[in-house]
Parts: sequence; structure tokens; C-alpha cells
Amino acid sequence: MDPSVKGKRLADFTYLVDRSKIKEMAEALNDPNLIYRDTASAQEAGYKDIIAPPTFGTSINLCGGPGFQELCEGLGADPLRVLHAEQEYEYLQLIHPGDLLHLTIDVADIYSKEGRSGVMQFALLETTISNQKGEKVLVGRSTILETPLS
Amino acid sequence: MPPIISFEDIKVGDRIPPLTKDPINNVQLVRYAGASGDFNPLHFDPSIGEAAGFGGVIAHGMLIMGFVGEAITNWIPNHHLKKFRARFTGITRPGDIITITGKVIEKKETDRTILCSVAAKDQNGELKIKGAFEAQLPSRNQGI
Repeated sequence: MDPSVKGKRLADFTYLVDRSKIKEMAEALNDPNLIYRDTASAQEAGYKDIIAPPTFGTSINLCGGPGFQELCEGLGADPLRVLHAEQEYEYLQLIHPGDLLHLTIDVADIYSKEGRSGVMQFALLETTISNQKGEKVLVGRSTILETPLS
Repeated sequence: MPPIISFEDIKVGDRIPPLTKDPINNVQLVRYAGASGDFNPLHFDPSIGEAAGFGGVIAHGMLIMGFVGEAITNWIPNHHLKKFRARFTGITRPGDIITITGKVIEKKETDRTILCSVAAKDQNGELKIKGAFEAQLPSRNQGI
């Protein structure tokens, strides 16, 4: 990893939430909850339309912004040694189909730790997502680990 | 949607209903790659899994976090969930059967927030995710 990317903005983009992408995520998780698929069921549960599941932020990040390879390039990391170490979400508003989201991804920190097999490097990426009304809807923090050279 | 649980109904130590998922298979990993946009080949190309030292493909950590999300939202409605975090502590492979458990570890009266710990383990009890979430619950007299 390249320590000089600390503090840099990796991406700044908009993402239009698509109904079928929410359903695709629920199907991939094998989560049968109808509030991710069926408008009537979502309305019965008190929502205006279907909503995005709690980990949909990953899809917004990677489908709308830099994908895995691009992310590794941005961090100067070796794709073969990259793992997801931690993930955190803060939920401020629900996400619905048709929401036009604005995302920024910043490298909040780059740090290293001495592990059993050498130096492990970490990147903390902070994603801030706001909607078309300018309201913040979701904050995501991802810790990406680059394992030691073997 | 799960039945509304009010703040007063919850006690520290209460357990969230456990969730056991179907065994993970390669098709699910490919579907998850497409759904999430995470096309790290480690998750679908066995030769990359070998080269990375895992002896084959491994599951996306976020797939397992998604399972934990399902367990949480089976218990409380989505709009009550305020924070959710996961530390990926172990590798998950096709064939693994993941069970999610969790319990209430703290209640904050001031904003009716509960803090819960969650864990995802495989059929051998090996820990895959150690996590936590916070939910803000309605008061018994207040509705949703």
C-alpha cells in the first residue's frame, strides 16, 4: 500500500438506485424478506416502497464507483494480498429505488501493524452517501488489509 | 416485518433469534459477486484462491455480514437499525454452514438505544464474524 494516499479522495460519483439491483442483492444473500422485492409488502410494513438491505452500501460503492481492481490500484495494493478486515455502517435514512445518491470515498487512514508473518498494512476508507435532497443517508467505513509479502 | 419490539421489552442478556443459512455454494459466490460488484477473482477463480494461499475460492466477507444483517432485521425492523459493524475473523469456504447469534449487551435509556453483539460461526464453531449493532427502539406507548 502507498502511505501517500492517506487523506486523498478516491472517488466522487452519483449512483441511481435500481429496484432490480436491490432484489439481486437479496437473492444473492438468500434473504427471503419481501420488503426487498415487493412494493405492496414494503408498504404493508410501513415503507413507501421497497428498501435496500443493511449491507447494500457495498453494492453502491463497488457497482457505482471504483471496483475491486481499481480500488487496489488507487491504494497501491497487491490484489492477491488484499482482504476485507472490517466494515461498519451508520444508517441515517432508508434507501429506496429511484434515489439518486452522491458518494465520496476518502482514504481516512493508512497504517501498519506487526503481525506474526510480517508487516500488515491497513487502509481505512470512509464512504459518505447523501440523497437527492442533500440528506446524509449512510456512512460506511471499510478497513482493507494487505497481508505481508510471503 | 418483524413485530415491533419496544425498548421496555428488552433486557440485557436477551438473545436475538439465531439464524442458520443454507450451505454456501459456488453459485451463491458468483451471484454475490454480481450483486455486490465485488469481482475480486479470489471469490470465484480457484487458481487465484490457490495463488493467494487459501487452497481454493473463499466467500466474500460481506456475504457473511449480509447474513448477519438478515438475522438482525428478522428481529427488529430495518428502520430501527442505526449502526452495524463486523470484523472478519475467519475464512469461509463453499460448503460451510453459517449460524448467526447475538445478544443484548447494553441499554441506553437516554435515547432508547440497545447495543447488541453478534457472531457468525460455521458448522465447526469457527468464528467468521465478530460484530455489533445499535438499534433505536420505540417506547411501549409510542408505536413505531
